[in-house]
Amino acid sequence: MRRGLLVLLAGLFAFAPALLSDYWTTLLDYIGLYALVVLGIVLLTGIAGQVSFGQAAFVGLGAYATAWLTTAHDASPWIGLLLGLLVTAVFALVLGLITTRLSGHFLPLGTIAWGLALFYLFGNLEFLGGFTGMSGIPPLQVLGHELRSAQSFFYPIWLCVLAAVLSIQWLLDSRSGRAIRALRSTASMAQSFGVDTATLKVKVFVYAALLAALSGWLYAHFQRFVNPTPFGLHVGIEYLFMAVVGGAGYVWGALLGAALITVLKQLLQSVLPQLVGSSGQFEIVVFGVLLIAVLHGAREGIWGWIDARITPLRPHRRMIAAAAAPAARARPAPDSVLLEVRAARKTFGGLIAVNDVSFEQRAGEILGLIGPNGAGKSTTFNLITGMLPLSGGEVRFRGQSLAGLPPARIARLGIARTFQHVKLVPGMSVLENVALGGHLRGGAGFVRGMLHLERAEERLLLAEAARQIERVGLGEHLHTPAGSLALGMQRIVEVARALAADPTLLLLDEPAAGLRYQEKQALARLLEKLRGEGLSILLVEHDMDFVMGLVDRVVVLDFGVKLAEGLPRTVRDDPVVIEAYLGA
Amino acid sequence: MSFDIALFLTQDGLTNGAIYALMALALVLVFAVTRVIFVPQGEFLAYGALTLASLEAGKLPGTIWLLLALGILAFLFDLPGLLRQRRARAALQSATWNLAVPLLIAALVYVMATEQTARPVQIALTCALVVPLGPLLYRVAYQPIADAPVLVLLIVSVALHFALSGLGLLLFGAEGVRTAPFSDASFTAGALVVSGQSLWVYACSVVLMALLYLFFDRTLYGKALRATAVNRIGARLSGISTVFAGRASFLLAASIGVFSGVLIAPITTIYYDTGFLVGLKGFVGAIIGGLISYPLAAAGALLVGLLESFASFYASAFKEVIVFTLIIPVLLWLSLRTHHDEEEE
Amino acid sequence: MASLAIRMAAVALCMLATQAVAQIRVGVSVSASGPAASLGIPEKNTFALLPTTIAGKKVTYIILDDASDTTTAVKNARRFVSEDKVDAIIGSTITPNSLAMIDVAAEASTPMISMAASARIVEPMDDKRRWIFKTPQGDGQMAQAIAEHMVKAGVKRVGFIGFADAYGEGWWKEFDTHTRARGISVVGNERYNRTDTFVTGQVLKLIAARPDAVLIAGSGTPAALPQKALKDKGFKGRIYQTHGVANADFLRVGGKDVEGTLLPAGPVLVAAGLPASHPVRKSALEYVTAYEKAYGAGSVSTFGAHAWDAMVLLRNAVPAALKKARPGTPEFRAALRDALENTRDLAAAHGVFDMSAQNHSGLDQRAVVMVRIENGTWKLIP
Repeated sequence: MRRGLLVLLAGLFAFAPALLSDYWTTLLDYIGLYALVVLGIVLLTGIAGQVSFGQAAFVGLGAYATAWLTTAHDASPWIGLLLGLLVTAVFALVLGLITTRLSGHFLPLGTIAWGLALFYLFGNLEFLGGFTGMSGIPPLQVLGHELRSAQSFFYPIWLCVLAAVLSIQWLLDSRSGRAIRALRSTASMAQSFGVDTATLKVKVFVYAALLAALSGWLYAHFQRFVNPTPFGLHVGIEYLFMAVVGGAGYVWGALLGAALITVLKQLLQSVLPQLVGSSGQFEIVVFGVLLIAVLHGAREGIWGWIDARITPLRPHRRMIAAAAAPAARARPAPDSVLLEVRAARKTFGGLIAVNDVSFEQRAGEILGLIGPNGAGKSTTFNLITGMLPLSGGEVRFRGQSLAGLPPARIARLGIARTFQHVKLVPGMSVLENVALGGHLRGGAGFVRGMLHLERAEERLLLAEAARQIERVGLGEHLHTPAGSLALGMQRIVEVARALAADPTLLLLDEPAAGLRYQEKQALARLLEKLRGEGLSILLVEHDMDFVMGLVDRVVVLDFGVKLAEGLPRTVRDDPVVIEAYLGA
Repeated sequence: MSFDIALFLTQDGLTNGAIYALMALALVLVFAVTRVIFVPQGEFLAYGALTLASLEAGKLPGTIWLLLALGILAFLFDLPGLLRQRRARAALQSATWNLAVPLLIAALVYVMATEQTARPVQIALTCALVVPLGPLLYRVAYQPIADAPVLVLLIVSVALHFALSGLGLLLFGAEGVRTAPFSDASFTAGALVVSGQSLWVYACSVVLMALLYLFFDRTLYGKALRATAVNRIGARLSGISTVFAGRASFLLAASIGVFSGVLIAPITTIYYDTGFLVGLKGFVGAIIGGLISYPLAAAGALLVGLLESFASFYASAFKEVIVFTLIIPVLLWLSLRTHHDEEEE
Repeated sequence: MASLAIRMAAVALCMLATQAVAQIRVGVSVSASGPAASLGIPEKNTFALLPTTIAGKKVTYIILDDASDTTTAVKNARRFVSEDKVDAIIGSTITPNSLAMIDVAAEASTPMISMAASARIVEPMDDKRRWIFKTPQGDGQMAQAIAEHMVKAGVKRVGFIGFADAYGEGWWKEFDTHTRARGISVVGNERYNRTDTFVTGQVLKLIAARPDAVLIAGSGTPAALPQKALKDKGFKGRIYQTHGVANADFLRVGGKDVEGTLLPAGPVLVAAGLPASHPVRKSALEYVTAYEKAYGAGSVSTFGAHAWDAMVLLRNAVPAALKKARPGTPEFRAALRDALENTRDLAAAHGVFDMSAQNHSGLDQRAVVMVRIENGTWKLIP
């Protein structure tokens, strides 16, 4: 139904040049050119969370590469395209490697920095025409046909836009896409399920840059003149602007934003002088004010505003075909030693957070790690999962040392975890969130995802995710956005996600925190069931009552030191433990 | 390069850097309290300088109309809430601050503008005209979406920058202004000639920074603002109004901006669009300070000023390329040593 | 709100209605905001003064701002030819924008008159540039006047500081060529940004090269900054500016620091001071009087006169074109182009236009005078 409507609209759109005046077709061409860049920004900024002011510089690279090649060397524009993409890929790779390493607010400034630097570089290079620019760029030729008019240019531009939209939609709908959607607010979660977030960011960065370069190539042959002004910082800001006004988190927001800003500017230009006289330049003032008003009304952008009003009525359902489970890991022999923590130590400056703690976890048991607030439980947990480096001692898993391994590598060994502060991607469905847990059980990459060449594997992953959701008893919430569930359910989703990784050891970080009594009961039943299925669980918990009825053994920490270890009953009666909990 | 030239360049870099540092402080202040990256900070500098120049020329500054219009707009924004609450005191307060005070200022300026007034009077009038724009803009542009994500607030800032620079062109024209210096004196130290005005810039920036330090460290309002910066929800719970904190921070930022404009207008030419680049360089400083640390931000801004000064000597055509390319390794180094919590958005 | 809607509807109706009557439509793209605003605004102001009828036909000017941005300039040009179906385009203010508009105008077979200076806009003559004309003196002509003056004044070594944009770049090329040809050595070449607050670095480097004179290639008030810095740092040589500074604001901001500055300019700058025999005196005064009547004494700038001259060219060419075809038709545009190319000895505000098939600029050295700033005013150097 929805798809049919889209196809119909696209079909109508294809006739736009025939139906509209030259002028409106020209505007549509420009909208398409902008939309290509903005689509990249939606992916990079809105979805992956990397704010970039510098995209206009990549448009410039694409435009200048072809301009130079076709005017100075009489090459075909198609070779210009190849060169533009190549040059941009190289630049974006280098800049991406640097700038995606920048954290927080350093990132946008980094993009401003190279955006400005490239702008002045264009202006100061003699062979690129300096600030005055290069003219005489030949028009595109397709099948011996010269594309000179706005009508004829409409098709290449919008075919590129269509391809970009599809590729991004498909990408977001794939294994890599789920990881990308987790980058923005839950990158550390993604890492602990084996996502190489640093590389992924660079890939997204390069792809967004290539889209910009493609737009630049089209621009150069449409405009047939290039000079630095359209690639400056102000324009870079304007692209970001289009994304946010349209809806930075939505692919369609890119198109809407590009269209809205372009049309609004044109309308203001022709209508304002008639309303207020042509004595001053009111356009930019009214433009700014209108956009502030729009953002006041729709802070998720206009598409976000629309989406919030249509989506709840029609949740996006994914078909789940029956599929075999992906290959599972060999289970360790019951009761064999799984995890050994030997004199683990963590210091922050002068503070000793974990002081030579040692314990063992055996296969098939639930081990509880308990202690009052500030006892060092979470720090110990982070030492095991690789989120924090050890200051001393060692952690071995199935005989292998984990020291120095990043979270993604530790995940590969068969350790899956949940988070004390729930880390789900709120906009993704429960199904997709859980499928992210199975990241390492698939192998399809960025490009295959973009081209939808990984559907067989994708079916397997989704089926497995659905199975795990059934296993934890949330079968009816498969398609619900994870962010709309109650906290208790979100914690269960986290368990399902960890299970989707097919772990040997499941680490739970304060799973009962903030839960109501019934929710705790449900969680306890689930964990018992999982133990019954042969899973090993390490549980970090603060809530004594919850732990004591559930675990096989407990380790008690206080002020970074191990106070006691043993069966729940013996530990509970230990006077040292009682004192630590009740206070002196 | 001779020693003399290096001295000249350093002096220039420091003067410029001092202004960037003031911008950086204002940006850090606004961001820490409201999470707004205040792109139009530089516009206050330009508005300050241009307004002062208008007064100096005996002309009525265009900012007068902007102030009145914004006041009315802010009152209209308050109106629905006032009608709902039906509290006379709140209504009176809103009317006073948004209507009466701007009207009073405007009337005062209207009367005084064409008179020959003394320099300090002109500066006082400039401040009275331009500084209130800060809190009024906060009321109108940011307060309704105070809890939006940083990115949205940033884009609102950009839109506001567009509107304000357009208004600047409309109100003041495209050509630049330069005002009379505070002091014509110049001091010779060896080969170095230091103008009285640049000493004013140094002295005033240092004094202003010291005042800000005292304000944040010693006064109740300052402490309240800092508390909001550290923890918004906590501050609200302990009775510090975020609205108040937001307006206060914008008031301070606007004051710093206007003040910088008044300081720098005698040394250089200021245009309606000077603000953006000056603000941007202040922003670089602010970022180097992680948008948190005042001393680091000031140091970063000074660094930018010096870099720029020396780059303009060595390769003027590539000045911006050099300045901004050198910023990247600094950023990289800073990123590697600061830990960012991913959930701070 | 409702009244606004009615007004907008009325506007739309008017737009439709006016389109129906056969009249001359001229599309104008000026850089009235953005970096080139100080040039574009007087041009835009000038259009309000232009006659609304030429040879008995009503003339409509559709004036759009291109914000000094090439993309917008091309968008405007495309709108003129496709939506407004104009008979001629005037614009844009700056060289990159004009260059970018050439293809659109030429492909729609619409004559275009640029108000930007670079010779690249009309040279080398080719199929596209057949349609393109320009009113300002070339930077080359201006640079030639400066170079000749320098030779006369005995300048041997000269330094250059210009905008880091197309203006500074265009000037640098022409200046370099013309001084080199006359054996003057250029000892420094520096750049600065229009909105820079300091140029001490560049100026110190220039002074260190010990030039006899310095040329500052900037437009409007920003060109005063290097001059002030040169004076501050004790430079005693001659200072030349370009015609870009020829407005009252430059004198206001420059104050006593710009006394004695030498610059080439169109005769319109010193119209009242021109000898009665000067061929341009009358036509230049016509513009100055009209502009100052509307915008106040001393408000005139030479840039607005480029817009005026574009109208003068059209006023001269339209009657001939009207004989061949009706406005709004391709034949009229072609006839207009031919008539523009046939402009002979036409005195305008900036000089005397004498076009030919090869020369679409048409101004000769009569369009350049050397001017000195004395007592805060422009004085013609005979």
